[in-house]
Amino acid sequence: MNAEDRIAAASNFLLQSPPGEINDVLNDVRDIIQNDDALQSGILPALKEYNLAQFTTVDVPGCDHQVIVSEAGRIKSLDGGEDRFFDPRSKSTFVFDHLRLEASDPQPHEVDMDAESYRSSLESSTLAYLAAHFEEGVASVFSTPDSTKRYIIQVVANKYNPQNFWSGRWRSEYIVDLGENKVEGKVLVNVHYYEQGNVQLSTTHTVSFTLPPSIAQLQPAQATPKILALIEAEEAQYQASLNDAYHEMGEKTYKNLRRALPITKQKIDWDKVLGYKLGAELTASKGVFGGS
Amino acid sequence: MTDLLDSMLDLMRRLPPTNVDANVSALVQICPDYADDLLGSVDQPLRLLTDRATGKEYLACDYNRDGECYRSPWSNEYDPPLEDGTTPSPKLRKLEIAANEAFDTYREMYFEGGVSSVFLWDLDDGGFAGVVLMKKVLTPSSPTEPSGSWDSIHVFEASERGRTAHYKLTSTIMLQLVTRRSGNGSGNEKGKEADGDGRSSESEVNLSGSMTRQIEQDAPLSDATAHIANTGRLVEEQEIKMRNLLQDVYFGKTRDVVGALRSMEDLERAKRQRDLQRELVGLMRK
Repeated sequence: MNAEDRIAAASNFLLQSPPGEINDVLNDVRDIIQNDDALQSGILPALKEYNLAQFTTVDVPGCDHQVIVSEAGRIKSLDGGEDRFFDPRSKSTFVFDHLRLEASDPQPHEVDMDAESYRSSLESSTLAYLAAHFEEGVASVFSTPDSTKRYIIQVVANKYNPQNFWSGRWRSEYIVDLGENKVEGKVLVNVHYYEQGNVQLSTTHTVSFTLPPSIAQLQPAQATPKILALIEAEEAQYQASLNDAYHEMGEKTYKNLRRALPITKQKIDWDKVLGYKLGAELTASKGVFGGS
Repeated sequence: MTDLLDSMLDLMRRLPPTNVDANVSALVQICPDYADDLLGSVDQPLRLLTDRATGKEYLACDYNRDGECYRSPWSNEYDPPLEDGTTPSPKLRKLEIAANEAFDTYREMYFEGGVSSVFLWDLDDGGFAGVVLMKKVLTPSSPTEPSGSWDSIHVFEASERGRTAHYKLTSTIMLQLVTRRSGNGSGNEKGKEADGDGRSSESEVNLSGSMTRQIEQDAPLSDATAHIANTGRLVEEQEIKMRNLLQDVYFGKTRDVVGALRSMEDLERAKRQRDLQRELVGLMRK
């Protein structure tokens, strides 16, 4: 395998990392590839892709809140230099180190004031929803360029417990389109449990629903709690359906794969299964192996 | 040297069990020197092949492979044909035939479908070893019906000590369960009519896992066939244990973690209620 293919394979491993285990995967990959110099620059695109897709969170410099580092907040560099990321709450941008997961070089950022009142109202409602259902969650609400009608709500919650061999991540994203009166959302859940084994849950859920026309007539402060109430109902329904899926898998699918016991409700009588004729034939030659 | 293998095994313990095939083959390409060690320590889903002589399906793994060819437990022939391919001694082959029949019954009683295969081989020290393989795949007849697969690999070593035999069994189970759902209308997953809110959704739940356990046991050996009954009981016992463990402990744990990520009940409301209760208790004490 040539050097380029090895980096591609290493990148592919990294992209499959379970929640909170990217450093463990990276350590394994370093041992396996045994070329830190080539790795360091080679895997950067994969780390970046992973961080953005997984809604990595970071402390915003000079603030006491975190922001989600994702495509929605990415500000592409015009001169081919490093991308910056935007924190709408503090209205600042920063440089993000995809290996160390640290933000630096904060700079104030000008925002579209027409969209800002709706966005900030949506943000307060989202933070209230976050506090109600996520013990350790981070949410960010972004407006979209050149639009006062389209907003992106992102939520991420992580729980890492390496001492007890488990980790989990909940990601949701909702694109609220006031022009079309529509919300498009997706929820992704990943769980890894690896005490003497490797069990993983991976779910995807996409949903779209229309907003009641009355919402469009309301002021932001009245409208955004209603939008979040719809999102809350949607996530509650999804979580309930996830529990149903567990029930169905446990009761039906699992049984269809392998029964807990045969239909007789008894373990197998192996002496019967073997049959007497067969037994007699084999016993004729005492030992199975050796020189008898 | 061993450190590198440890890193590979740690990696395989972390990456999704559903990708084990592709990931193992990538590792083998990166470190060809470790191919044997890796293939010997990481179990992969079993391949389904058809015996040309009997038309019966059998399972392919590292234990019935010779070069690029796989031996069928039914006809004892290699596919593609191999003239001097490794086969068990005639006596062991007799036991292998009987074991395949017995475990085929076991398979039917527990799996009600699927395919099983047993392969035995002679060991240099006079004993023998074997592998019992089971595979079942649920193929859905519609997109919303659940699908899944079960692979079990039981590798054992048997050594005779007079009237008893000693068995060492290493069992691996690989499992995947997939449920898909799509819905229109709010709260009415199966209803065909959207009730005016234009809601539509698509969901997929993928639960997969692999686990390995070892056990050693002595059992009486009255005659040669007792090896089949002894390993049969051992495999049965272990498979029941591991099936329950996967369902109760492993799947249960992943469900609990989802609940820990997002609370079904309103945390703020629950906190307010707790505070209120504390206040009331305080008032009553005054």
